Amino acid sequence: MAAITLKNIVKSYDKTQVVKGIDLAIEDGEFVVLVGPSGCGKSTTLRMIAGLEQPTSGDIIIGDRVVNDIEPQDRNIAMVFQNYALYPHKSVKENIVFALRRLKVDNEEIERRLSEISEMLQLEELLERKPADLSGGQRQRVAMGRAIIREADVFLFDEPLSNLDSKLRSHMRTEIGKIHNKFGRTSVYVTHDQVEAMTLADKVVVLHDGYIAQSGTPMEIYLNPTNIFVAQFIGSPSMNIIEGTLFNDYLDIDGYHLPRNQLSNVAYQAPITDSGLKVKVGIRPDFFNDKAFFSETEITFNFTGLTIDLIEPMGFDKEVLFNLAGSSVKARLDLRSDITLGAKIDLLVDLSRVLIFDHKTEQRL
Amino acid sequence: MTPLERAEAKFGWKLVTPTILILGLLILYPLMYNVYLSFFDVQLNGYKTFVGFENYIKLLTNTDYYSAIGTTSLYLLGTVVGTTLLGLAMALLLKDPFKGRGLVNAAIMLPYVAPVISVVFGWQFLFDPISGVVNYLFVDALGIWSERTNLIGNPDSALWVVVLFDIWKHAPIAYLLILSKLVSVSRDQYEAAAIDGYGPIGRFFHVTLPELYFVLATVVLLRLIWNLNRFEDVYLLAPNVQTLPIFTYYQAFTGVIDQGLAAATSVIQLAVLSVFIWFYIKKIMKW
Amino acid sequence: MLGKRTLTGRIGFALAILLLVSFSLLPFAQILSTSLKHQYDWGNPSLIPQTINLDAYKELLGLTEAKKVEMPAAIQKILNNPKLPQDKKDAISAKYMSNDNLFPFGKYMLNSVIFSVGAATFSLVFSVMGAYSISRLRFKGQVVIQRSVLFVYMVGGVLLMVPLYQMAMNIGLASSLWGSAFCLFLIYIVQTLPVGMYMLGNYFRGIPFALEEAAMMDGCSRKEAIIKVVLPLSLPMLATVFIYCFIIGWNEYLFASVFLKQYPEFHTLPLALQELFVSKNAIWDRIMAASMLTLAPIVICFLFASRFMKGGKTDGGVKG
Repeated sequence: MAAITLKNIVKSYDKTQVVKGIDLAIEDGEFVVLVGPSGCGKSTTLRMIAGLEQPTSGDIIIGDRVVNDIEPQDRNIAMVFQNYALYPHKSVKENIVFALRRLKVDNEEIERRLSEISEMLQLEELLERKPADLSGGQRQRVAMGRAIIREADVFLFDEPLSNLDSKLRSHMRTEIGKIHNKFGRTSVYVTHDQVEAMTLADKVVVLHDGYIAQSGTPMEIYLNPTNIFVAQFIGSPSMNIIEGTLFNDYLDIDGYHLPRNQLSNVAYQAPITDSGLKVKVGIRPDFFNDKAFFSETEITFNFTGLTIDLIEPMGFDKEVLFNLAGSSVKARLDLRSDITLGAKIDLLVDLSRVLIFDHKTEQRL
Repeated sequence: MTPLERAEAKFGWKLVTPTILILGLLILYPLMYNVYLSFFDVQLNGYKTFVGFENYIKLLTNTDYYSAIGTTSLYLLGTVVGTTLLGLAMALLLKDPFKGRGLVNAAIMLPYVAPVISVVFGWQFLFDPISGVVNYLFVDALGIWSERTNLIGNPDSALWVVVLFDIWKHAPIAYLLILSKLVSVSRDQYEAAAIDGYGPIGRFFHVTLPELYFVLATVVLLRLIWNLNRFEDVYLLAPNVQTLPIFTYYQAFTGVIDQGLAAATSVIQLAVLSVFIWFYIKKIMKW
Repeated sequence: MLGKRTLTGRIGFALAILLLVSFSLLPFAQILSTSLKHQYDWGNPSLIPQTINLDAYKELLGLTEAKKVEMPAAIQKILNNPKLPQDKKDAISAKYMSNDNLFPFGKYMLNSVIFSVGAATFSLVFSVMGAYSISRLRFKGQVVIQRSVLFVYMVGGVLLMVPLYQMAMNIGLASSLWGSAFCLFLIYIVQTLPVGMYMLGNYFRGIPFALEEAAMMDGCSRKEAIIKVVLPLSLPMLATVFIYCFIIGWNEYLFASVFLKQYPEFHTLPLALQELFVSKNAIWDRIMAASMLTLAPIVICFLFASRFMKGGKTDGGVKG
């Protein structure tokens, strides 16, 4: 078991910087998910922790050792690869116990751990097969087994579920969560899927263009994104960004005046001129709803007379599109709200969930 | 460089060192040594006297050398064109799966892998003026030729026998290269062309050929590179066909031995070859 | 399916295939046929012998009883001459007896096996190391080495025969039997090493990096990852490369003639066959039988290797 610390990690290939200075502290036993769009440097960061890539500068500390100059095989790390990387010439069983055989663990112990893990991952029937004869989901479980059986200090996951279909993916996601709860190893998990990030992580680290855009618990990231990138990357459907103007007393959106003193989280204190400050306003689709579904105590704002352009029934809820300040805005409404296309309706929004960003830097005000 | 990267580089060098030593000592060094030798009068026993450019002057005033260049050019022309066309025809013919394709494949690959020394005897027998089936066919059966001739005995006709032999032996390579490209052309393209009203011939010119352009260039270039150096296939079948390699061999090891002259011939040939190889590496491999 | 649907189309296709296969196999059929024919049958254009004659094979494989050569009376007379020294007598009789074994095929075959299997083995080991290095490891100079290998791969033996012979002469190897054999052995390694590296390099590039990384995560060093993961995975390709190198050595004539012509003891099959062909003992059935026996190991190897060369794979398809 070990904590991991990354100190100002930079990685360049030739002249292009892929990772541009990352500082990150991962506590012992913590499940950290690195999430971001492709090319953000998340996989490179994971591979540097593994030792498969070397940082151009900065230190990687696992436990109490600086591991920069330690070969990957000596870092006591287990890893699940995106394409599983099972040894095609070995049986499932040999794939799983390969590391233990090398460590000269005695046979009884190997058998004990093997039976425990194959039972947990439902691999008992498959042990004698070759990877080529397995389905994608089975291969994934073998790859998991191979990583778990080591009882290594650190688990690394490199987009382990991205090759599975959506049903299997959500099943395996739950399994990974269970396994982590059982073993409690320090885990670093790379994905571009924000659902995996939200559901699995103790701490989500959103990477953007080689930097950490924000890190925090899933709920912090969801409710209090510090910039528009994070705000839009996390959450589905993604957050609406609407043009607005901030005045001393209120926020103007397309003629609607939202009272400023009830907007939470606006730390912006500088005086505002009479012509107001152009800002971007972020409202998640989830925080709109019909009046009927808010309780009296909630502080809300009523956007009156909106014209609905499109209704998309999603099953449990329905998504509607309307126009606000020149942007097409999406709201996720309760299934029971009776809304018809083209009709004028009123939608309420939870004022404490309206976020205001700087127009240029796109950082939270 | 981090210590781990340094360790990797060190390991890389360690693994490749034997290869570098062997190839450097026995290919690159000899190639340079060859240039050195070309300025000497070299005896078979290793005795050398410096003669400057005399070998080159001797070579360039030797009519036999020019006739060897002419023979080589004809040989290259015939083999390159023949091999490419036959290879293309084979690839088109065998592109789609059919029953027994594996066996046909093995049969047509056989000439390529068979030892030259063995198959030349088969060819010599085929063209034998007394017992050979070729003479039987053209003289007795079809009556095209009036009398039996020794095609291999006469250098002029032997050249074409040698060309045919090379086509027979190396068309399989062209076939493999072209086939690997041909099978990667997507069916959609053919089906789209068919729907646009193109028949088999139209489809060949509008879909197949443009896709094959690059691989055909590869085949031509590779044939040039390998056949410029071709020795055994020519020498063992018809030693009287004097392409450049055979010319060089005779200078170096038979009759009036003049290894310096042979070295000079090789130097010029290497220069030409290097142009081909450079072209191949740059344009085909795109390195 | 596009095309090839009509009956005439089918017949045309079948005829084309038949023509192609006949063209490819005719010389082989001729070799086999002539090797089995009696001399009176040679001029017969039919490929099927009137009667099967296995004498040539028996003779080459040493299955015939050593024929007792009748010494001509004149020779016998000379040998009986008491004035002649014993060593002269032995020499004369040996000359006659030696006709018994005109063509020690087995010995030549053994020579060929030793040279080509030996060289292929060394070549394989070096090319595994070299190919892994240039295709998998990152270091400065890797690209230069890669290009150089491709370059030397394409430089033919003819351009090297004079300098290599002179080098061997300079250090005194070319003038002794074992020295010449050693030179030839080295040359066979050199002739096959670039091919092996080229084929294996391409193959190694196709093995996912993640497999080795997984092995390293499982605690293997780079060396162990190569031995326990990369090599077992490459077994079919290693076999193919070995066979390929073996075929090159087995077929080689030029350097064998340069270095070993004067040492009949060490003749390889190509050299021996050519010598036989130009000698007074050239008889078609014997030459053809010898050709057939030289061919056989290659055909067997090829049939084995072709399992891995299917589907238009061209890994090894550029040499030659």
